[in-house]
Amino acid sequence: MLAVEVKNIKKTFKTKKDTVEAVKDVSFSVEKGEIFGLLGPNGAGKSTTILMLTTLLRITDGEATILGSDVATEDKSVREKIGVALQDTGIDNILTGRELFFSTARLWGYSTKDSETRTNELLELVGLTEAADRRVKTYSGGMKRRLDLGLSLVNSPEILFLDEPTTGLDPGSRRVLWDEIKRLRDRGVTVILTTQYLEEADELADRIAIIDEGLVVAEGTSDQLKASIGGDVITFSFSNKLDLENAKKILNDCKQEGNDLRITVQDGAGKIPSFVNELTANNIEIEAVSASKPTLDDVFLKVTGYRLEGSETSTKSEEVFGENQ
Amino acid sequence: MITKPSFFIQLGILTKRLILRVLRRPLAELPNIFISAFFLFVYDGALGGVFGGTASGTPFDFANGNFVNFILPVSIVSASLSGAASGIYLVEDIESGVFKRYQSMPISRWVIILAPMIVGAIRVLLQASLIMLIGKIIGADPAVGTVGFLIVLSLAFIWGMGFAGYSVAAGVKSGSSQGAQAATFLFFPAIFLAPTFVPREALKGWLETAAAYNPTTYVIESMRSVMVEGWVIDVLFRGYLAAGIFAAITLFFAVISARKATEKA
Repeated sequence: MLAVEVKNIKKTFKTKKDTVEAVKDVSFSVEKGEIFGLLGPNGAGKSTTILMLTTLLRITDGEATILGSDVATEDKSVREKIGVALQDTGIDNILTGRELFFSTARLWGYSTKDSETRTNELLELVGLTEAADRRVKTYSGGMKRRLDLGLSLVNSPEILFLDEPTTGLDPGSRRVLWDEIKRLRDRGVTVILTTQYLEEADELADRIAIIDEGLVVAEGTSDQLKASIGGDVITFSFSNKLDLENAKKILNDCKQEGNDLRITVQDGAGKIPSFVNELTANNIEIEAVSASKPTLDDVFLKVTGYRLEGSETSTKSEEVFGENQ
Repeated sequence: MITKPSFFIQLGILTKRLILRVLRRPLAELPNIFISAFFLFVYDGALGGVFGGTASGTPFDFANGNFVNFILPVSIVSASLSGAASGIYLVEDIESGVFKRYQSMPISRWVIILAPMIVGAIRVLLQASLIMLIGKIIGADPAVGTVGFLIVLSLAFIWGMGFAGYSVAAGVKSGSSQGAQAATFLFFPAIFLAPTFVPREALKGWLETAAAYNPTTYVIESMRSVMVEGWVIDVLFRGYLAAGIFAAITLFFAVISARKATEKA
């Protein structure tokens, strides 16, 4: 049985003036024990997808099952199997970490004694034992995220949904949380996480679905996605705008990003000399040239036409193709 | 071993959580107690000399010589409006996302709504008790004996539940703490379009009409009857009826609003 199976789900919000299609058509499946990443920019539909799968939003159309339970009709059964740490899930700042774990364990149905045991286990797991009796308002951002993660694990869920678990954290705290998530996967927990960080998806996810404008535009392992680019990426940099414009006419299927032109070819390193010869023969001055293996960034650019914020170039780039493509 | 906790265990856990929150923010409780006690002292100080013992034998002797007995219900009613904080608790949970966390767990959605209302009612009981103690110290002496304090307290509790329901409905509907705060504006017409300082017979014109339609009038008159006059069953009954109907109506609206808020979009 699949851990999660999502078939053509849609979510439409109707306001007095407008109808907004937050999720247009999303399908994917997740095997037990894997980390599945939903990668996309803000507003792509990742969080809405998670809210639907965790029974917090009604699915407008399509169907989804969690460990065989239908999300739409068996929501209570679904909630018993999952743990949820949403981007905007709240934590009672005026209580202590220990009180929060204890009351959450009681709400899940543990006896008083078992709740104490579970509280201590989880405090240990997320590294908050020393801060357990401090009020949460004194915790750092990273500690709050670890607490949030711990609270989503109280019922020992088989499937864990994490919505942008590391957004806003410093690199050190992010690394700590990644290690926690990997440990959970190693213990058999299936993790579905959303992220807008390419590095996070690359580092954590066994498989990735790229979501853009409410649609899954690519899916696979990181290596499969990179291989789908079809070769190496050669980047030509130009200091002169005229050279850049002339180079565009020569380099087939190139994409412009600022003063750079990028082209994807097989055996990038081997092809550089012939490209350089051709450009210089046309009196085009190249400032720099490099070949690299494709990154998730390149995959994202290829399937969406722009770069993800926070990635190398960071802004939506203008897609320009050579005239003689 | 996990077994689904009963409705009442869930309610107990969430209520305890809110009580902890109230206990850890004691300063937030002080203004309402202070305002209610302030009303009691100021009204007694300003008007007690006119309508108290010296009014004996004059047309102004509606307090039977003890103005504290007459004015205490006004302070109690104002204290019972502290139930209006219930909506704030809920809205804070909605704004902070705690509400969503509970929604993602297999616990009763009614528990999430009821817990702040119960805490609101407990606050009303404690505040009203404190005001009555102050009243007793400065001379309140119910005409029906000590049981009069319990009657006043029970009326305050029902009246406070009514305001708690109103506050939850307003808070959930507005979805913001400002909205819930703004809803407490009802306090002013509730208190002052009523026979606050003098009996209803002494009110004239539009105020007399407004007071007749204000349920607070009947609650205050009911409390006053046991404090000043003795057992006047029909007046007492009207007070419980007005408070009960008000509570039923506002609870109904709280339930409707809460249902909409907890429904999936």
